[in-house]
Amino acid sequence: MRFLIPSVTAFFLALASAHAADRTVTDDTGREVDVPVDPKRIVVMHEPLLGVPLMDVGVQLVGSYGRTDDGGFVIAVDFIDSVLGQGLPKPKGFGPVGQPDLEKLRALEPDLIVATELDAGKADQLSTVAPVYLQNVASGKVQGFEVEEDLAKLVGREREFEDRKSEYETRVRELLQALPDNPSGQTYLAVFLTDQLNVVGGSSGMVQALEDLGYNRLEINENNGFTAGGGSMMLMPVSAEEFGRLDPDVLVLLNSYMADGRDETGTRATLDKIVPGWDRFMKPALEDRVLFADPAKVITPSIASAEHMLDILQQWNR
Amino acid sequence: MKPGLATDGKRVLRFANGLQIRTGNLMAGIGLGAVVLVLAAYSSGLGLTETGLGDLFRLLFGTQLSDAEDFALWTVRLPRIVLGFLIGWAVGLSGAMLQSIARNPLADPGLFGFSQGSMTMIMLLLVFLPAAPKGLIAIAALAGGLSVAWLLIWLVGNERSTGLSIVLMGIAIETVLSSFGSLLILYLPAETSLALSEWLAGSLFQANWSLISAFVPLFLLSIVGILLLGPALATYDLGTEMAMALGERVATTRPLILMFAVVLSSAAVTAVGPLVFLGVLAPHLAGFVSPAVARARLFLSGLMGGILVVSADALTRGLASGIPMPLGLSLTMIGVPLFIIALRLQALRKLQSH
Repeated sequence: MRFLIPSVTAFFLALASAHAADRTVTDDTGREVDVPVDPKRIVVMHEPLLGVPLMDVGVQLVGSYGRTDDGGFVIAVDFIDSVLGQGLPKPKGFGPVGQPDLEKLRALEPDLIVATELDAGKADQLSTVAPVYLQNVASGKVQGFEVEEDLAKLVGREREFEDRKSEYETRVRELLQALPDNPSGQTYLAVFLTDQLNVVGGSSGMVQALEDLGYNRLEINENNGFTAGGGSMMLMPVSAEEFGRLDPDVLVLLNSYMADGRDETGTRATLDKIVPGWDRFMKPALEDRVLFADPAKVITPSIASAEHMLDILQQWNR
Repeated sequence: MKPGLATDGKRVLRFANGLQIRTGNLMAGIGLGAVVLVLAAYSSGLGLTETGLGDLFRLLFGTQLSDAEDFALWTVRLPRIVLGFLIGWAVGLSGAMLQSIARNPLADPGLFGFSQGSMTMIMLLLVFLPAAPKGLIAIAALAGGLSVAWLLIWLVGNERSTGLSIVLMGIAIETVLSSFGSLLILYLPAETSLALSEWLAGSLFQANWSLISAFVPLFLLSIVGILLLGPALATYDLGTEMAMALGERVATTRPLILMFAVVLSSAAVTAVGPLVFLGVLAPHLAGFVSPAVARARLFLSGLMGGILVVSADALTRGLASGIPMPLGLSLTMIGVPLFIIALRLQALRKLQSH
């Protein structure tokens, strides 16, 4: 009897949610999910990769995994502030990282939970609260700000996305006209500095902006002595020795969120610890082809991050 | 059933069929059972929604709960409490069995490499098949644990090998597998490593009634196992040769007990991840509460394991709700101080008796 009651309750709840859902979609892991046509109360399981792109098309999030109960963010950088600007209302958290609290999540009354493909193991439990849509975010599966486009389509914000994209494309054309040289065909390489050197993958606003301007990613593979680190991933480690031999037309350096400074001075100091004297022998450094970017602004897969990258490129070319 | 005295002067209850149980062990079992119920009642009241044991009784007597109360109790809290107890029971029992086989108080599924065998197989599966169904993960865990057990039996050799050789060989296998696990974590893509690390820290987040219904048959089987294998373990406590001298068929029962311990350990690893040190803690604390042998020792160890995991979950959910505290960490925070106190008191007791 004790087990019958929850089973019957769950059955009726499932039945009720099926009626409330307006359409069935297939998520990126192949699961069929009933989602509202116009979800009003969305919760994300990864704020920089899912939350920021959704907010960029005008969605107001009710919850975000990784935030504290009072809306603070668990790591040093608040991506909503850094990418979308100060003053926006913050979503609420539902438990510390590693321990999502289902009761707190339910209290947020979400009608859709958006998670990454890496949350597939949590999907069944999260589904007890609201429909869970799993979105691919790993490099190799998505490129540039495709995540924002996919999510805009999911929540019925295609028009907002097209408007944002149109504004962005206008800026790309203006910048191209303003640049002294056409970057078409030139190579770029973005490297994220932690305690090691990591080549940044393809899913970010930064990469979208660089490639829309005509830059091509510097092709690197294992034959060049790189460690691919197991395939599809956002950051690919590269040895300091191999890094010193690289010669992209533009070398983009991004300092860790946890480091003291994400500006040029802080980034140079971090790289000096990993590759001492790099600015005295690396060709991009000697020929002033190094670009310093704040990852907190440009790394999310959103149009806003792509626009931040355009700002940085515009300033660099002055 | 009538009371009597054992040969060592301790009070026992004798049943008509010849079975006897020490009164102290029985009282300890009843006491630990009561602690489980009290802890469960306390834990059912921990969380954001204001509900608990009182509402649960109201529900059983026909009163309708609000959706939030119903969700908090039936979907979140009770599955965690029940699964936590079952997991703790399985690991505690597994540790007690292995300690008797090895005649080593430090033996547990981790020391023998069974947990690492299960973990390594699960990690490999998740690397090649990140969206693997839960059934396949359970099979992988069992296959990993059983492979290690088979390797251990093969390496240790015939029935004349000592408990020490099993422990040493187990440590060697465990070290190799742990190194391989670290290698996987280090060199896998960052996202996969993070997901694996989260699982390795242990969590009851996945607790639900379907997982519990899959675990209940194993729990029932473990009780049958205790009844059948308990007497054999009492002879193993005296050493392999003495066990053989007492008529124990070591070549048959030792692999059987090892396999049984592996199945219990693998199931626990699949459900919540590895719970390091629990297999050592539970039998020792149970032995401190009431020294026992054979079936009584296994029952008490299982109960103590359950108590430790339910307490650790209560700490994770309630007292430290804003702080990230994996189950493995809270288990250590509760179990290790108790372990130290128990060992210290035992040492003092011995000093006083001399």
